Amino acid sequence: MQEQSVISLHEVYKTRGQHTIGPINLELPQGYITVLVGENGAGKSTLLNLMMQTIYPDQGWMTWFGQPAKGELPLSIRQRIAYVSEHSSIEENRMTALDAAHFRSQWYPKWNQKRFEQMLTEFQVPSTTKLNKVSKGQRQKFELAAAIATSPDLLLMDEPSSGLDPFAWKDMIRTLHQLMDTDDLSILITTHRMEEVERLADYVMLMNDGMIYGIQEKDTLYQTWKEIWINAGVGDADVIHSLHECDGIVAWEAQSDLSVRVITTNAIELEEAAAENNIPIQTRGLEWEDLLYYWRQSAWQYKRDPSSMKK
Amino acid sequence: MKIPVQINEDSAEPLYRQVENQLRSLIIGGKLQEGTLLPSIREFAADLKCSVITIRRVYQDLENEGWLRTRQGTGTFVTKVEQGQLTQMSEENVRKILNEAIQKSTALGWDEQQLQQLFAELIHQHFTT
Repeated sequence: MQEQSVISLHEVYKTRGQHTIGPINLELPQGYITVLVGENGAGKSTLLNLMMQTIYPDQGWMTWFGQPAKGELPLSIRQRIAYVSEHSSIEENRMTALDAAHFRSQWYPKWNQKRFEQMLTEFQVPSTTKLNKVSKGQRQKFELAAAIATSPDLLLMDEPSSGLDPFAWKDMIRTLHQLMDTDDLSILITTHRMEEVERLADYVMLMNDGMIYGIQEKDTLYQTWKEIWINAGVGDADVIHSLHECDGIVAWEAQSDLSVRVITTNAIELEEAAAENNIPIQTRGLEWEDLLYYWRQSAWQYKRDPSSMKK
Repeated sequence: MKIPVQINEDSAEPLYRQVENQLRSLIIGGKLQEGTLLPSIREFAADLKCSVITIRRVYQDLENEGWLRTRQGTGTFVTKVEQGQLTQMSEENVRKILNEAIQKSTALGWDEQQLQQLFAELIHQHFTT
C-alpha cells in the first residue's frame, strides 16, 4: 500500500556555519509516529527547522501536505503544524499558562480551549502561575498541551523529553498514544531515549552526518536485525565460515572460545543456512542501542565503499 | 483490556505472525469469547511496544479468516464461531505444534522409536502427576 507523505524533501541541502546537511530525500509517512535518531550534530534540529521553514534550504525543494512552498510558510500550512522544542520561548516567561494559551490561540482557527484546560488539569500544571515559576516538567507539559490544543495535522517534537522526570515522561507517552488514537495526525519526534523508539515509533529514521540513512518500519527493523551466536566447536570450520557468505551480515565477531557472535539484518537466511548444515545457533533480540549502532556502522561502511554492500 | 500476548524477541519469526498465532489461539481456546471488544490498534500496539502497522495487519488477517469483525466507530470484536469449527481448528493447531516438535527432534537425530517412547513417557507423566 502506498502511504501518503505529510512532508517531502527532494535533494535538499542546507549549510549553517561549519555544518552541511544533505542531500536529503525524505517522505514523512502520514498517520504514523516517526522517531528520528542520530548523534548530536547529525542535523536533526536543522531538519526540523527546515520543516518549519524557520530556515530555508540552499538547494532542493519541499512540499507540505502535498503543497510546495518557498520562503516563509503560508499561514494555511503553518496552522496545521505544531512544534514542541527542547527550549521554551523566553517571551512567554512572564505569562501564565492561560495567558500564553490565549495569545497562541489567536493564530490557530482549530484551537481547542476545553481540551487545553483538561490537559493542564490532568498534567497538574498550574494555570495561573507565571511560566518561569513552574517546574521544567510542568513547563514542558504546558508546551505539549498547547501544541495538542491547536489540533495539528503534524506534530513536530525536538527532544521533548530531555529533562523530564519519569512521571512527566509517562504522561507525555500516554498522551501521545491517546492523541494518535483519537485524532488523524502524524508525529515526528527526535530523541536519544531508546524507550521512546520502543514505545512510540511506527517508523524509525536514522540520521548521521547530515544525511538520512534510512527510514524503516520499526517492527521490520527489529525482526530482521538479530544477534546470532554460533557455539564453539559445533561444526567444521569451513562450514561455519561458509555461513559468513549469508546475505545481511553486518558484523562477524569470532570470540576467543571459538564461538562467533554475528549481527545480521537477515536473521531468517542465517537460521536456515545453519539448519541445513546442522549447526546449532542461538538467536537473540538486539537492544535498540546496539541495533542503531550497527545500523549506523553499516551506513558508514556503505558511504566509504558503496560496493561493500551486498544486495 | 489487556490481551495476554507475548512477543518473543529472540525469534526471527515476524512479529505480526507471532501476535496473530497467539490471538487466534486465545479465540480458539475460548479465552477470548464471542463479542469481546479488542483494544484499539494504537492501544494494543502500545501494550506490545510494536508498531500500529503490525497490529493493523493482525486485525486485518484475522478478520479475513473470520475470527474478528470491525464495526466502524465501535471497534474490533471477536466473532461468533461454530463449535464444530473450533474443534477442527483446535486439532489443526495441535497437529502443527506436534509436527514442529517432530521436525526439530529429527533434525537432532532422533528416530521414530525414540520419539514414540519419549512422547508416551511425557504424556504419562503429565496426566498422572
